[in-house]
Amino acid sequence: MIQLFHVTKYYEGCLALSDISLRIDKGECVLLTGPSGAGKTSLLKLIFGAEHPDDGQILVQNRNIARLRRADVPYHRRTMGFVLQDFKLLPHRTVFENVALPLIIRGLSSFESRRKVIEALRAVGMEHKQTTLASVLSAGEQQRACIARAIVNSPIILLADEPTGNLDPQLTIEIAELFKAINARGTTVMMATHNRQVVEQLNGRVLRLDCGHLLSDQGASA
Amino acid sequence: MKRLWYFIREAYISLRTHQASTVIGIITTAFTLTSFGTFLLLYHNVHNLIGRVQTNIQIIVYPKDSIEPQKLQDLKKAIQTESAIDSVTLISKKDATKDFTHQFPDEAYLLDGLGKNPFPASLVLNLAHTIPSTDVVSNLVNRLQQNPNIDRVRYNRDWIERLTLIITYLEIGALIVGGVLALASITIIANTVQLAFYTRQEEIEILRLIGGTNLFISIPYLIEGAVIGGLGGGIALVFLRGGFEFFKHKTGTLSVIGGFSSVFEFFPFSLSLLLISGGILLGCIGTLTSMYGWMRFRL
Ligand SMILES: Nc1ncnc2c1ncn2[C@@H]1O[C@H](COP(=O)(O)OP(=O)(O)O)[C@@H](O)[C@H]1O
Ligand SMILES: [Mg+2]
Repeated sequence: MIQLFHVTKYYEGCLALSDISLRIDKGECVLLTGPSGAGKTSLLKLIFGAEHPDDGQILVQNRNIARLRRADVPYHRRTMGFVLQDFKLLPHRTVFENVALPLIIRGLSSFESRRKVIEALRAVGMEHKQTTLASVLSAGEQQRACIARAIVNSPIILLADEPTGNLDPQLTIEIAELFKAINARGTTVMMATHNRQVVEQLNGRVLRLDCGHLLSDQGASA
Repeated sequence: MKRLWYFIREAYISLRTHQASTVIGIITTAFTLTSFGTFLLLYHNVHNLIGRVQTNIQIIVYPKDSIEPQKLQDLKKAIQTESAIDSVTLISKKDATKDFTHQFPDEAYLLDGLGKNPFPASLVLNLAHTIPSTDVVSNLVNRLQQNPNIDRVRYNRDWIERLTLIITYLEIGALIVGGVLALASITIIANTVQLAFYTRQEEIEILRLIGGTNLFISIPYLIEGAVIGGLGGGIALVFLRGGFEFFKHKTGTLSVIGGFSSVFEFFPFSLSLLLISGGILLGCIGTLTSMYGWMRFRL
């Protein structure tokens, strides 16, 4: 479903990713680990179409992202969800409105989008907070709302960049559990994290990056 | 439908968050369009005036005093066949004398001493209503002047030429003033919208993150610009109307141009609409200007 061929990325002459080749199949749970500055975020951004590789090809569902036209990037992004470390919700909107935003962008009917939003909120255990303003949510709740927003479009893959980076250990376990559940329902998950506990909890395929190099690629332990 | 509601709401929120710069934007646009509208109003009225004067234009032909009555009738007929001429009235020497004594009864005694009728006969030519072109008229006048039976031709075209000149000046003035001021209000609206962009960068990032196209992201700002411009246009219209009524009221009491002020009229509805559309256009251009540098590709 996602394939990278010899992908290399520089930032102003500074190497961020070096000759990365990998293949991710549908339903996989992929964990990107490695120290800070290893290139985890860069790799996710490349797949998301937020950066262009300097070399190599990236295929997402047989579409070559490396050669994506600028105008097509938004449509590419609508096929995936992206959860970030800092939650990125519209503060003056309710949880419902935030989660509904990707559907408004796609121009879905109210009826259909209502059903999808409720479904996504239920999946993250937030259906009782629909009408709460995003600005008054706790950190854990904000991240749940973000996850709901990322999955409301039924994405082919859910990308996450240190989604538990701003959360305490208890919330980290809860959020990791959410990703595990989403993956169990068939959504491909690719998460960058340097939290060992999360890696163990999700028990997926682990890609270890360091200084832009792919050090190891290990399948699930059990 | 849901999208439309979203766009309107976003635009409203943005306008409300930047009240000060919104107001400045509206005022600048109103000022621009008031100045421009003043020119337009003058232009419109001078144009109208020309139309009126043109239908009042008379060409007076004085045949030679020695002309035989039969030749005079022939001349009248010949002129009547001209396409530019609506009607020809013959004023005989007798009619002219009668007119004089009627208009100036106190001076009528002057004529008694002369014995011979001093007034020439004349043909008064009324122009057809459908001949606006001054060329056709001057052409006719030239030909008449060549006619050996005609002594001289009087034609009040100076007026028209003067008015046409005024129109040209007004057009140039409107273009220059309008251009400069339009630039000013585009810049200010651009700044207003840019401010909105700055403070809502986080939101724009979020929209990009979830696959919002540039068009989707920018529509609220376009609406914002259009609202600022449209309101400016509306205010300008109110100013112009007020100024116009004031002017009319002031000049109405002056007997000299009393005749004029009754001629002046405000814009017809279509021009008023044009002014507001102009404001909306300025607003949209302003928004597009400020967005141009912002719509680059980033997460
Ligand atoms: N926008 C950028 N401009 C310049 N250098 C960058 C940029 N983003 C990342 N880098 C560099 O690329 C390398 C990889 O960064 P990143 O992918 O963010 O690593 P990680 O997410 O694993 O911490 C780092 O050395 C970082 O300094
Ligand atoms: Mg990172």
